[in-house]
Amino acid sequence: MRFAVRLGITLVLLLTLLGLGIHYGATYDENWPHPSGDQLQEDYDEFTGDHQLVFGEVQSISEDTMTIHVTDSADEVAAELEITHHDATDRVDPGGFVQVYGVLESDRTMTADELVVVNEDNTAEQYKLLTSIAGVLLAIAYFFRHWKFTLTKFGFEPRPNKEETQDG
Amino acid sequence: MAELLSHVLIAYVLFTVASWRLEWLTKRWVAIGMIGALLPDLNRIGMFVDDATIETTLGVPFGIDALHTLGGVILLSGIGALVLTEAHKRGFGVLLAGALTHLLTDGLKAYADAEAGAWLYPFTWYRHPTPNLYVSADQGVVLVTGLLAIAIFLVDYRLTATPSATDP
Repeated sequence: MRFAVRLGITLVLLLTLLGLGIHYGATYDENWPHPSGDQLQEDYDEFTGDHQLVFGEVQSISEDTMTIHVTDSADEVAAELEITHHDATDRVDPGGFVQVYGVLESDRTMTADELVVVNEDNTAEQYKLLTSIAGVLLAIAYFFRHWKFTLTKFGFEPRPNKEETQDG
Repeated sequence: MAELLSHVLIAYVLFTVASWRLEWLTKRWVAIGMIGALLPDLNRIGMFVDDATIETTLGVPFGIDALHTLGGVILLSGIGALVLTEAHKRGFGVLLAGALTHLLTDGLKAYADAEAGAWLYPFTWYRHPTPNLYVSADQGVVLVTGLLAIAIFLVDYRLTATPSATDP
């Protein structure tokens, strides 16, 4: 395929991807069954009295309750909630991140029916970041072992390899 | 989502095992599959630029998490395939298969309401039940996938080394 054709199709796909992101952003709130941080910030009371799933960073813990911050799309604090759960406080520290499913109360409390500790503390995020970087480096290193960039065709072509000379 | 190292190792394992049956699926295509496993997590761009900033720039709603969906990875695989100088259809198929290993693995992770993310977007917003197998910071995931990848690497090394050892 000629470079100009590849470039043209790539631009069309990039524009389609942009459109997908816009559609996703425009329709997310009406299709995701639980309130986003932005929605809690705009009209908290609309979501009270029903089971909701919220995500938040743990701020403080005392006995069987914890305070979490739910953030909006700008990563600003959209709501502060007090969560009650029978054993969650043993499994997470301030700086950790949790998912909570329970009935949202008008006094900004929630008794968790289910609670998932995503990050026990803020070191978990560092662990995920470092292992993810290792994963990216591994994939890229393995890729460049078998493919090389060629400026004449402006793309990646297979490296000559006697084991794979029949390969397309 | 699990950290990226696990996703890359899972792709390595699945594509390497498949290569034992599919003659065309050589190591260079295993490498492409591993790159495909990275694609859904391109939504991590959100760590550097949040949705609100992009929305302000574009003047319309936007969700970077569209990249972490079926529609997002179809488009990303198309773009990725066009970066190759040849075999674009095969490149598209293998990149997409790698991305699907990522999305399917993420479909098994824990949600407090026991339903997975809406990764089938834009075809549907349906959230299928999840077995709640792991959380993203679970170090057991990388341990299991790492051991599995080492085992498959050794078996593959033995399988691919055997014919050449008997060559005249």
